[in-house]
Amino acid sequence: MSPRPRLVVALVVGSLLAVFLAYQALFNSGTLLVSVAQLRSDADGAAQKQVTLTGTVVRASRTSDPMRFVLRDESSAQTVAVSYRGSVPDAFKTSRRVIVTGRLENGVFVAQPDSLLTKCPSKYSSGGS
Amino acid sequence: MVAGLRRDRRVMRSVQNAFAAAFVSALVAIAALEYGLVTNDYSLSVVFEHTSRNLPLIYKMTSLWASQEGSLLLWLTVLTGAAGIVMYQNRHRNRELVPWVAAVLGGIAVFFAGLAAFVSSPFAHVPGAVPTDGSGLDPSLQNPYMAAHPPMLYLGYVSMAVPFAFAMAALITRRTDARWLVSVRRWTLVSWTALGIGMLLGAHWAYVEIGWGGYWAWDPVESAALMPWLAATAFLHSVMVQEKKGMLKVWNMVLVITAFSLCIFGDFLTRSGVVQSVHSFVQSAVGPWLLGFLALVLAASISLLIVRLPTLRADHKLESVVSREATFLFNNLLLLALAFAVLWGVVFPILSEAARGVRATVATPYYDFFLVIFGLPLLALTGIGPLIAWRRASPGSLWRTFRWPVISGLAGGAFLALLGLGSSPAGLTALSLCVFVTVTIGMEFARGTAARRAIAGGSWPRALRDLVNRNRRRYGGYVVHLAIVLLVVGVTASSAYSSVDEANLGVGQSMRIDGYTLRNTGLFQRRGPNYRLEYVRLQVYKGGKPDGILEPGLRQYDTGQVGNEVDIRSSLLTGTDLYSILQAPDRNGSGVSVKVLVNPAVGLVWLAGVVFALGALITIWPDPREARQLARRYGELLARSEA
Repeated sequence: MSPRPRLVVALVVGSLLAVFLAYQALFNSGTLLVSVAQLRSDADGAAQKQVTLTGTVVRASRTSDPMRFVLRDESSAQTVAVSYRGSVPDAFKTSRRVIVTGRLENGVFVAQPDSLLTKCPSKYSSGGS
Repeated sequence: MVAGLRRDRRVMRSVQNAFAAAFVSALVAIAALEYGLVTNDYSLSVVFEHTSRNLPLIYKMTSLWASQEGSLLLWLTVLTGAAGIVMYQNRHRNRELVPWVAAVLGGIAVFFAGLAAFVSSPFAHVPGAVPTDGSGLDPSLQNPYMAAHPPMLYLGYVSMAVPFAFAMAALITRRTDARWLVSVRRWTLVSWTALGIGMLLGAHWAYVEIGWGGYWAWDPVESAALMPWLAATAFLHSVMVQEKKGMLKVWNMVLVITAFSLCIFGDFLTRSGVVQSVHSFVQSAVGPWLLGFLALVLAASISLLIVRLPTLRADHKLESVVSREATFLFNNLLLLALAFAVLWGVVFPILSEAARGVRATVATPYYDFFLVIFGLPLLALTGIGPLIAWRRASPGSLWRTFRWPVISGLAGGAFLALLGLGSSPAGLTALSLCVFVTVTIGMEFARGTAARRAIAGGSWPRALRDLVNRNRRRYGGYVVHLAIVLLVVGVTASSAYSSVDEANLGVGQSMRIDGYTLRNTGLFQRRGPNYRLEYVRLQVYKGGKPDGILEPGLRQYDTGQVGNEVDIRSSLLTGTDLYSILQAPDRNGSGVSVKVLVNPAVGLVWLAGVVFALGALITIWPDPREARQLARRYGELLARSEA
């Protein structure tokens, strides 16, 4: 058996940290989170790649497939059309703030299926859900 | 309350009474608010914003914790109640510790009372004229789970304050032997159980009510409850090492501080709106206060820990990495690594904005990666830990102990691979490890029962009952491990091996998924109390034979909101769910848009919750034998410290 337990423990801690850092380096750092205005102005190349977009729903119809809705910037009048497939959260409706992941293609934000989240407007809180 | 520092019995009595009085006043405040909620007193803004006249009575009552103000009040009530119980339990014990425990708990209670009184008052009035009707409770919260899930989590968050208070008291008074641990073990268990059950209730609520087909989405607020739970799990394990071996004393302090800080951080996260979340709410004034409180707690407890480091020297050194103490240590490291990875994911948007000037988020793949990479070794340790010898295990004893579990694990893995489950290597590994762990637990029970029967005779069931009764903590722990195995099987099967498909179905058309055929037999409408329901009737066939009906629908509320009404058909035998969602009703003749999922073994996730509660109950249940043992150990400790 190992004569130096401390060394092994240190190695375990080191390797856990290494796994963590390696993941951060390799799969770098998640998707950009942008507002409609930032998407429109191509801030940080937001219009060229997959991003997570936040905005307020101004027009929505559940009838078309894929579903279409328009998002407005939260602090300006800029808008973008979104094309979305997949499940729609209960709370989705006009004037709700939503988060959706996808990329801009020919002026339309094409969302990934099932990536739509609504921000709950109530002050309700609970832990996990 | 701080007057309790002088070791005066009468002052302590008054502290006890002060907590009782605080509890009663918090209770009166809650009762007053409930009265307002139930009697539609819309002059109160809490009542106006969260209820309406047509709301059923039970949801009027539960909407107490639908508001931040009400939940603060609930938090305060639970905290003062817990503090009162602690004072009562320890009225003849821990004379040195209790005054400081009272001071710490009192400090926390004063902070939350201050928030409720000055920053976010539950009794604020609606400006202007009194409205005649409220604005209503969000439809997705009108659900029985919402009656149980938030209070359960509050209980979990709040009771973590008790172990923290004892830890601080032990540091202040330099009584850093195992005694404070003994006093808080049950409290930690209560908190940990409540958090666990609270999370599962929330998960089930999301599954049946939110309707996207899943139950866990790595939402920051879900993570907020998971992180303290992971830290508390680590603490519950390393406590045993300190009790048995006098090691890991500093580590245990760190874990308690971490667990409590994560509870406060979780509260901050839900309240401040700093992180984008399904649960994120309007930015509220409470956020900065909680952050300040968190900073204060961390600064105070860590500096205290550093000052008292010399009193926390270990009695023994780690002798071998192949021993039970080492296994527990690795389990702790993995649990904390997982908690840290989750924490990193949660605060990533803030960090990235600060460091790079752009906001970015991490998504599900990030969390799944760490769950697999840290979770699988953790699962293996669940099997190894309870069986491996203390101090040092020899290769021969290892082989004897783990022969059968390892062989069954490998055989089980091979069998599952033959069934075609190799499509997900991580899933296959998880399931094989589950077989391994189950066999180790089964062997422990079998061996213990046989030994018990050899000593006392009698029938097998009776020997089993005696065995568990004689060491509740150990066998209750095994039952909890069993629950974890069920949870892992359920989560693995329903995430790694689920099928999902969507289709547009006209009347008479059908879709196939995973051996099921679903045929659209028509679209129907129904009127509910405050909504109109549109639903599609799907006839299910399996193997050519009719196999039930699914009726997923959409609720169109009169307020303009739309709600999913999913229909789930569960098989009791396999735990497999056929989960159907109506995504869009037919408007232009192209058929209804339906999404169907087959979630194998998802029923085991909920069964795991029941087994978890059972196991936790076994360990929490008062045990006279254990009390006697502890009394004896106290005596030894006292004798040693006096010698």
